[in-house]
Parts: sequence; structure tokens; C-alpha cells
Amino acid sequence: MRIVIVGGGTGGTILGNQLARRLAAEVRAGKVRLTLLSDSDRHMYQPGLLYVAFGKMTPDELYREEASLLDPSVDFHVDAVTEFHLDRNQVRTRSGKTHEYDILVIATGSRIVPQEVPGLSDGAEMFYTEEGAVRMYKRLLEFRGGTVAMVVSLPHKCPVAPVEAMLLLHDFFKSRGMRDKVKLRYHYPVNQVHATANVARWAKPEFDKAGIEYETLFNIKEVDPVNRIVHSEEGTESKYDLLIAIPPHSGAETVDDNSLGQGGWIPTDRFKLTMNGHDNVYVIGDATDIPVSKTGSAAHFEAEVVVENITSMIKTGTPVREYDGKVYCFIQAGYDRATYNAFDFVNLPDLKPPSKAIHWFKLAYNQMYWSTVRGLL
Amino acid sequence: MSVTASETPQASPALNEAAAREMVEIINLLASARDAMSDGMVSRLARAVSEGVALLDRLTSNHGFMRLLQVLDQPESQRLLIGLAEALRAASRDIAATAPCQGGLWETMHGLRQPATQEGIRILAYLGRHLSDSLREQHRRGG
Repeated sequence: MRIVIVGGGTGGTILGNQLARRLAAEVRAGKVRLTLLSDSDRHMYQPGLLYVAFGKMTPDELYREEASLLDPSVDFHVDAVTEFHLDRNQVRTRSGKTHEYDILVIATGSRIVPQEVPGLSDGAEMFYTEEGAVRMYKRLLEFRGGTVAMVVSLPHKCPVAPVEAMLLLHDFFKSRGMRDKVKLRYHYPVNQVHATANVARWAKPEFDKAGIEYETLFNIKEVDPVNRIVHSEEGTESKYDLLIAIPPHSGAETVDDNSLGQGGWIPTDRFKLTMNGHDNVYVIGDATDIPVSKTGSAAHFEAEVVVENITSMIKTGTPVREYDGKVYCFIQAGYDRATYNAFDFVNLPDLKPPSKAIHWFKLAYNQMYWSTVRGLL
Repeated sequence: MSVTASETPQASPALNEAAAREMVEIINLLASARDAMSDGMVSRLARAVSEGVALLDRLTSNHGFMRLLQVLDQPESQRLLIGLAEALRAASRDIAATAPCQGGLWETMHGLRQPATQEGIRILAYLGRHLSDSLREQHRRGG
């Protein structure tokens, strides 16, 4: 049985390690072969970028060698997949090598596409890359007063990131004794401060308490970096001195290139996590088009379901689990408080009041993440 | 011993007061622990636990390592390792106190004639033979 995993992010790495653990005897006996193909030899803890943008973590803390995280029985290659031949059960890599599979798992994640909004790349700070997060922190340190505006494009990784960033901005300027010199303005594309109603219900009074102004139904159309104005599709505009953007996201380039799904999102059965029309192809993490958050947490819980099902298929011939839409996300509510957001397809999130204990839980998780991707948690 | 009805109202508040005092002490203890902690301390502690758990997992899921532990658990292996460690210490001491070799065939012949050298060669021969057997057996088992 040849199992090929495409993508070495959170989902792909957890899946590879958990399969190696569950199928250890089969792998040793040569009955199962696990291969992981990634475009990078490094693994990044992406949620840490928000902390880098506020000087709470340094970039080197975000990385580990992918090989050091993977079980030794996983055959790991730094060789990005460029072609998917799903009709022939084959993928082809950048180096020209062809890998045949019996089961394929696509965990190619998502990427930012700020170029889709005119002026955004030049006019805004973004914390979705290492360079962007470091630059944003420098800009915040240099900022002497005025309006800091945030604009948000949907969908994007980590849906609560804009709310977290606003509350962190409040604490950042407060801790520097200049909160009174800074006006914080938040712009969101739907008619509430967050797409998830219960998060919006929690975030609105938090914003009010922190003196954060907000404008909803603001879908970013273009940015005028010279005059420092951001325009919305709705015809409104907002002036800024420092613009922070949650840029538009798209699926992986290779997904687009191979026309696996519109916008790079692969049509996926939300319960089985198989690609529509391909029972031996699983899709997890940001790459799916299922209606759950694009977060490492979703990728983690999805990976667990796929591991259970692949293992069970090999051992007994039948799948055993369905994905229930489970997601668990921490929400940093400033420098020293946090809460969390847990929900699934049926149960809506019910946010608890932020506390220091949950903040520490989040900080601890920033370190425990490496145990999670190793398939331990 | 019996408690009269008239005593109960007096005993109960006293007990509640003591319990409340203890609870306040516990709360103060937790609060002081919380105030003493910092984000950095929490991160470092979590990192140590995370790395420790990962290391433990690597070791316990490593078949070679577990086999090595089984072998090391045997008194014979422990005797050999203790003997080896003591021999290394003694050899280190001896080599420091001995003049450097002069070199040449005569010097070699002289060394070979020493009973201690012959003992050493014999031990190496035994070790070599059993090491070959063990390696052959491990390859045969595919491990």
C-alpha cells in the first residue's frame, strides 16, 4: 500500500506521523510505504507570526527542520508536486520524479494573494509572512501617532486573527504610553465585526472597551498608498497613517495549476474528507472547500479522522469515522488575556471571558505545537 | 461525645470562618504564584515539557533503543561495561605514566612477549568473535 502525502504543513506532518505510529508494524513489514512530499525542508509555526508582529516572539522560534519532526519511517522528500494525474494515481514533482500511490492525501494549504487588491502590497503591513511580520513590528515601533486602520479580506487563515491583532494593537500602544495619540479603526467585510456571530457578539464590547472604532460592510477595493486612503467596494473610504491588512487568500498554486478546484480550494466531502469523485484522494487543512476555519486546528482534527479511516481501511477494510467540523482556536485578547473558540458543524462557539490562565495556556501551546505535529497530542 | 443544639450555632460559624480563612490562603497562594510567573517562564516550562515528551516518545518508539535497554538490563552487560569503564580509567593512568614507544620491530616483539599484551589480544579476539555473531544475527532478523 503506497500512501503519498503532499504538503509538509501542520496537516501533512501530523498525518504522516500518526500514520507511521498506527501502521508501524505494516511499515516495518514492508506492506505500507509512507511518502511525504513538501516544497520546503523547514516547518513553520504560522500562528507565531502574530507574536512576531508585536515583538513577542522572534522568527527563529517559528521554525524546525521538517525531517526532525517526522517519524523516521516516513520517506520525506523536499520536492514539490507540480502535476496531479488523479486518473492514473500518480503525482509528478518538480525534479521530474513520478510517485505512484494507492492513497493520496493533499495538504497543500493556502497562500496570500495581496496582488489581487490594487495598492495593497505597497500600502499595507501584513503579518502573514516572516518578512511581513518583522516589518510590521518595525513600523509599529516607529509609529508616533495617528490612525492605524485594519482592513480584512475573506477567506483568510485564522479567522480570529484580525480581532486579536486589534486588541494587541490597543495593548501595544497603551504599554508605550501613547494610546491617546492613536486612533484604531477596524474595517470588516460583513455586517458585523466578525463573520461568526458569537465571536462578533464577544468582540464588539471588547472593541468598545478598548476604544476601537469599527466599520462593517467594508469590502476592500483598492488602496491609494500615496494619499493613504483605502477604498471599499461599497463606495466608502477610510484615511489612515498606518494600514494593516489581512490579505486575500487562495489555495496552493499547484492546486490552481492542475485545476483541482476553483480558487485553489479543492471540492471535498465535508464528512469523509475525500476529494469529490476520488475516493482514494483525501484533502485536509486549508486546501479543502469545506465550511470550517482555515486553521491548523481544523487541519489537525481532520488529519486525525483521515488517519483513523486509512488505518481502519488497511486493517479491516472499512472506514470508521466522519469529520464533525471540530475546530478549537485560542483568541489572544491583548497582551495578557486570552479566550478560546471551540465549535463544530452543529455546535456554535460559546466564548468564555478572557483570562490570564487561558493566555498562559496559549503561550504553552505555542511550545507544545511541536509535540502536536509529531503526532503526540 | 454529643453536640447540643445550643452549641451548634457557635461551632458552625467558627468552622466556616476557619474554612474561609484556609480558602483565602489557597487563593492568595495561587494569586502569588500567578503574579510571580511571567510569559517567558510559562513558555520555557512548556517548551521543556514538550521537548521532554517528544524525546521520551522517540526513545520508546525506537525498537533498536528498546532492545539495547533489554541487553543493558542484563548483569553480564553491566559487568562488561563497568569493566570497560574501569579499564579505560586504568589504561588512561598507565599511558600517562609510561614512556612513549621507541618504535621498530624489536619494540613490537618485546610488547607482544608481555603476558598483559597477550591477555589483551585474547579479550579482543573474544569480543570480535561475539560481535560478529551478534551483527550477523541482527542482520538475519532484519533489525
